[in-house]
Amino acid sequence: MRAQRKAILVDLKRCIGCQSCVLACKELHAFPDKPEKDLSPTALTIVRESHGKFIRRFCMHCQDPTCASACPVGALKKTDAGPVVYLADRCIGCRYCLQACPFQVPRYEWDRLVPFVKKCDMCAARLAKGQVPACVEACPVQASQFGDRDEMLQEAHRRISEDRDYVQSIFGSEEVGGTSVLFISDMPFEELGFPVNLPKEPIPAIAAGALKEVPMVVGVGGSVLAALYWITQRRQEVALAEAEESERAKPAKTGSRGREEERS
Amino acid sequence: MSALKFPRLTLWRVIVSLIFAAGLYAAYLRFFHGFVASTNLSDTVPWGLWVGLGTLCGVGLSAGGFSIAAAVYLLGMERYRPVARVAVLIAWLGYLSVVVGMMYELGLPWRIWHPIVMWNRHSVMFEVAWCVMLYTTVLTLEFLPALIERIPRPHLREIFSRWHHRILTALVLVGVLLSSLHQSFLGGLYLIMKGKLYPLWYTTELPPLFYLSAIPAGLAVIIMALYLSMRSLQVRLDTRILQELGRVMGLLLAVYGVFRGVDLIRSGNAHYLWQPRAETGWFWLEITLLVLLPVILLLSPRVRENPLKLYATSALVVMGFMANRINVAVTGLQASSGVYYFPRWSEFALSFAVIAAAIVAFRFAVLHLNIVPRETGGIGAVPASEPSAMLFPQLRPGPLPSASRVS
Repeated sequence: MRAQRKAILVDLKRCIGCQSCVLACKELHAFPDKPEKDLSPTALTIVRESHGKFIRRFCMHCQDPTCASACPVGALKKTDAGPVVYLADRCIGCRYCLQACPFQVPRYEWDRLVPFVKKCDMCAARLAKGQVPACVEACPVQASQFGDRDEMLQEAHRRISEDRDYVQSIFGSEEVGGTSVLFISDMPFEELGFPVNLPKEPIPAIAAGALKEVPMVVGVGGSVLAALYWITQRRQEVALAEAEESERAKPAKTGSRGREEERS
Repeated sequence: MSALKFPRLTLWRVIVSLIFAAGLYAAYLRFFHGFVASTNLSDTVPWGLWVGLGTLCGVGLSAGGFSIAAAVYLLGMERYRPVARVAVLIAWLGYLSVVVGMMYELGLPWRIWHPIVMWNRHSVMFEVAWCVMLYTTVLTLEFLPALIERIPRPHLREIFSRWHHRILTALVLVGVLLSSLHQSFLGGLYLIMKGKLYPLWYTTELPPLFYLSAIPAGLAVIIMALYLSMRSLQVRLDTRILQELGRVMGLLLAVYGVFRGVDLIRSGNAHYLWQPRAETGWFWLEITLLVLLPVILLLSPRVRENPLKLYATSALVVMGFMANRINVAVTGLQASSGVYYFPRWSEFALSFAVIAAAIVAFRFAVLHLNIVPRETGGIGAVPASEPSAMLFPQLRPGPLPSASRVS
């Protein structure tokens, strides 16, 4: 199933910074077409310039998305086709997805009274109709390409091995367990501001490890507490019975109580 | 009683009224002008004071509820019975304020019920939501007797108390389990912030550390509440209970400190302790207030046996605890977000208003319900017996069994 997952390959060497992808995205979502410096609720992808290079930024569509694992109501979902989609009807507005995302992608409509999360969904609706994402379609130089993830990985490998100008790595092939957006570049990713220190393993696994303990905590904790309760109850019963017995043997027993009150 | 008379104007009443007024205006801003007008939150700092102080501290500082309930009702530590109701009351009010906080924290608060029907069992937050929901219910049931007692129908009261008595132990047990889970999972929320949260706070042991710090901090709140109630609400209590609570608190804080230190060394992050960065300062402030000072102070019997000094030490613990939670939620994420966040006045105003409301409610409950023994008030209002004797008629609470151990 994973082999069929689609991916977008972005070739930063090819990008000419024409902003066609950005405009296509804005047009599709009917956003105002004012230029924006960073991702926003009305800019789900941007192309910015850094060190004379143009860098495209949008949701990485992780193979094992941290946002989807974090969301308490399952409003974010990795679909079999590849996109990570947002189900606005479920969202409660806790913004844990914004905290969770290792790429700091999701945006929130802070200025709205009924705010939602906004992020690229890889044009999931277009994909369902057999079309390619609007940004890919708009690219005049094929700096963004779309296809099966395996194919895109192969294509990326082919390009960087044939042209030694490229950095010999593919960003997104392994990061946080791999993403459905892949980048190749002729300038080190670090210099372009990519988060290069991300772990190779999926981040949700860390939380899953903790969640696995729940049945153990409930089972063992519950039994231990119940056992302790039983013991203390039993002890009190015994103490009560003993006290009754000694009371029967010696009816007047005020000594110890009097002494304790003296001390307080 | 004197409802028609205008309440006497005191300094505290003026302050509380001002806090409420500011909170009301902040709530107006939040609900009619949105997050932009009421917070300094942004896409890079999506959680701020309301999560750090409101949720993390609100839940954490309420941990005394399940701890004391477990000690009294499960472990048979009778010496804490006189404060059991105070502990449950504080926890109940704490959780209620967290739930109220959710109403302005969430972007779409009218959907707060969604986790009940929309499940994501991979989400730590989902677990927290369920636990908080269930435990708030448990606390309500645990506290209910204090309210039911006031019903002027002996017959109803009796039915209720018999029914309540049967489920109390199970209720407390479930409460302890739920608390253990979500107190730790509040720390678990930050497990996925690997690489974002500063290494002095990020560790895979965040869940147990949150759990271990919440219990002594919860005890500190109980000590503070009891001391203040004794001072100004005519509560009369054997101060040896405070001493004992202080002793246990010191012990638990020491355990927490050792655990934290060992974990820092184990994870290889100990060298961050000395780096010339702002985070280092915040860390040491937190550790000094939460662990170093209180543990040293509580070693001395002169501190433990003096209610005022014990109160001051508990205040340090509470401040240190707040510093810890705010460090995890705000300070520790500052560097990776690249944005400087300081809460807007309205964020403070709303948080403070909820805290003030909880304190006012606490005061009202202690004055008008049977929570702890008080000196004044009609005989009808405050029965001379122990508050929760009614729940365990077979266990006559005698004088402190721990008396010999404390001295």
